[in-house]
Amino acid sequence: MTPPVRPRLLLIIGVLAALLALAGAAAAGNGGFGPTSPASPNAEGIATSFWFVTALVLGVFLLVESLLVVFVVRFRRRKRPRDADGPQIHGSNRLELAWTAGPVLILFAIAVFVFAKLPGIIDSPDATASGGPLRIEVVGHQFYWQFRYPNGVIAIDRMRAPAGRPVVLDVTAPDWDVNHSWWIPRLGGKIDAIPGRMNTTWFRANEPGFYEGRCAELCGAFHAKMLTGVEVLPQADFDEWLTTAFSAQHQADPALGRELWEGVCAKCHGLAAEGGYGPTLAAATLTNRDALETVIRNGRALPGRNVMPSVGRDWTAAQLQSLYAYLEAEFGSQG
Amino acid sequence: MASWLVTVDHKRIGILYLATAGLFFLLAGVLALLIRIQLARPDQSVLTGDSYNEVVTMHGTAMVFFVVVPILAGLGNFLVPLQIGARDMAFPRLNAFSYWLFAAGGIVFALSFFAQGGAARTGWTAYPPLSVLSPGNGQDLWILSLHLLTVSSLAGAINFIVTIHNMRTAGMSWMRMPLFVWAIEVYAWLLLLVLPALSAGLTLLLLERRFPGTFHFFVPEDGGSPVLYQHVFWFFGHPEVYIMILPAMGIISEILPVFSRKPAFGYKAIALSTVAIGCFSMIVWAHHMFTVGLSNYLNAWFMVVSMVIAVPTGMKIFNWLATLWRGNLSLDTPMWFAIGFLSIFTVGGLSGIYLAAFPIDWQVHDTYFVVAHFHYVLFGGSLFAIIGGLFYWWPKMFGRFLSERLGKLTFALLFVGFNVTFFPQHMLGLLGMPRRIYTYSEGGLWQAYNMVSTVGSFLMGVGVLVFMLAIARSRTGRRAGNDPWLGDTLEWYTTSPPPPHNFDTVPYVTSARPLSDLRRSLKERSAL
Repeated sequence: MTPPVRPRLLLIIGVLAALLALAGAAAAGNGGFGPTSPASPNAEGIATSFWFVTALVLGVFLLVESLLVVFVVRFRRRKRPRDADGPQIHGSNRLELAWTAGPVLILFAIAVFVFAKLPGIIDSPDATASGGPLRIEVVGHQFYWQFRYPNGVIAIDRMRAPAGRPVVLDVTAPDWDVNHSWWIPRLGGKIDAIPGRMNTTWFRANEPGFYEGRCAELCGAFHAKMLTGVEVLPQADFDEWLTTAFSAQHQADPALGRELWEGVCAKCHGLAAEGGYGPTLAAATLTNRDALETVIRNGRALPGRNVMPSVGRDWTAAQLQSLYAYLEAEFGSQG
Repeated sequence: MASWLVTVDHKRIGILYLATAGLFFLLAGVLALLIRIQLARPDQSVLTGDSYNEVVTMHGTAMVFFVVVPILAGLGNFLVPLQIGARDMAFPRLNAFSYWLFAAGGIVFALSFFAQGGAARTGWTAYPPLSVLSPGNGQDLWILSLHLLTVSSLAGAINFIVTIHNMRTAGMSWMRMPLFVWAIEVYAWLLLLVLPALSAGLTLLLLERRFPGTFHFFVPEDGGSPVLYQHVFWFFGHPEVYIMILPAMGIISEILPVFSRKPAFGYKAIALSTVAIGCFSMIVWAHHMFTVGLSNYLNAWFMVVSMVIAVPTGMKIFNWLATLWRGNLSLDTPMWFAIGFLSIFTVGGLSGIYLAAFPIDWQVHDTYFVVAHFHYVLFGGSLFAIIGGLFYWWPKMFGRFLSERLGKLTFALLFVGFNVTFFPQHMLGLLGMPRRIYTYSEGGLWQAYNMVSTVGSFLMGVGVLVFMLAIARSRTGRRAGNDPWLGDTLEWYTTSPPPPHNFDTVPYVTSARPLSDLRRSLKERSAL
């Protein structure tokens, strides 16, 4: 009555082999089998811990799965009658002890390793040479990230940071907003941006470059579009950018206005205000400063299902002026 | 037909649970395929951000609350009185009440798709402030459906506990109880202890939603704390994971010995590890909250206790392996699902270690790595065990076998499809793909792994169709006798299907395997 076992075993072994082959191919470029190439000491600490756990876990995995395969092949019924009993063994205290102690030792080793790595992951190194860490405030909004530098410069979605210098991030979300989570995979782990709560994390990018990231906590319809990134510049270039932005942002700054439009408004209303999730915006609306301020500050509850969050309740006057300036230059001539 | 509507027979109520939960499994499965279609390639627009969030929320909620837990309640209902040699549950009418509340909750849940503003769309965890600010009535109906369900489960849990404590047949001491009954005992206690936390949290959520400005629990603008909700939710939510896996482990502990022709290796160790897992599961909840910025001393505590749970879990796995050792393995469909459970659950257990180590969790939290992890535990674990259990007990429930050929085909499709779907999701998470995003623009490996995952999900879909075909065909399937698998436990002592009163007589129980004892003494007597 029992059908032969071999074809099915072959199938399973074949699939496992195929998976291994796939794994091998993908592993050639890491391929997602470990954290993406870390570029900051904390991300390196996490990646090292990951590989340490992997080494132990892989051993247990191979042990259990190979025992399973061997037992199934070796002890399958073959020609024995169905009711032929195996040896009536009820247990073994010595074995129970062994497979309690074994995992305890492995977990102990993991805990010790992780705790040893922990200071390097959570403590930002001192940077006396470059004048201490740079502190940036990171505020998650539906559906954009706002960054504020110590001198008041504001940036949207794209953070700029100097290479080689620790950057400490104060991460939060406004009281009227929802939870978000700040995550740049190559620059360390994630930390939630929670309304009413200030969290801190840090990174020190070794090399200039662009490091992508995204919001990692469901925050609404455009969660998937809450992309962000850190552009790491050589210290001199960074300083130059920061001073330029500082003087520009004292009054209406079309460059900041453009960032605001693209990061805050266009995700729902379209780059050309053609509408999308949010309604089409007429040029007359976009250039009516008072009406615009009301909507930006308070949001709008539309009948039906869409609600516009109060995206700019905490914006400075200069921010609003920058947006007006950009909008008037971009849409004013048409109206 | 009408007699099913007013039945208080635990066997019929159990079957009603299974059938209803089966419908929700199909619904939630279709939602899962929608997710995989949307994510198959970059920048697709099969679903919008809002409708994707609805689909994700309803898929998760349905699978947890309306599929896995009620299926286990159904199996428990059918099996517990039979396995302990009782005539019915302690409170048959309360039992029917539980089922009908579950059905009512299910109807509210299913109809909430048509609510003003659509269904709930803030994830199965419904974190505020998002869930408080979310417009429309879908979220309110979601809360109502879960309120109904918690009352149903609480009544069911009390019923199980009273039944197991008081109605075991003569001779069945605690250490002679079937391991499935042990698992249901712990399942019921966990439900009883943690469901009130969920009810309370949801009630606060509802009040804050419906009376804005009056109540200030979770939204910081009004002086509340979003993190408080997460504590309340996960105080329930983590034990919920074990509520879904422990009875599945109980099923495995029933199938493996019978199909190996051996007693369960380390019966006491398996039973006590179930209790230990149940206890520990209530003090590990904040490992779901490592990224909210708790103190690292707290994080360290929750990391260590989460790792401690791995010890009794590992014990179970090794005891099961030892049960196979030197056995006479009949590789029928239930056994294949049990073997599949062992191989898949091991992966899910091991990937949990990464999540318990909080600095590593900071990297993989809320990514597809987590999605892969809990599907390895809940689909490859719980649902594989459940499907194996259905193949095992189907002859007892209906007196006929499910087709072995279709059963093995179901297993092959689900096993391969499952691994093809979910293994690449580990890699997606490590590559930086967060969960619950409705689209992405990355090509390369993101696109490749997502496509592979989608292909796998459709293989699983075919597997489910084959399983349904097996069920449809079982009406004319091979007839089963009282004890077709040569089982160990009392349900195999009565007829298939059992009569309304279950047993005419019940033999005195002298071990955890009364039927195996009975067969041996019959053999000895005939040899004389």
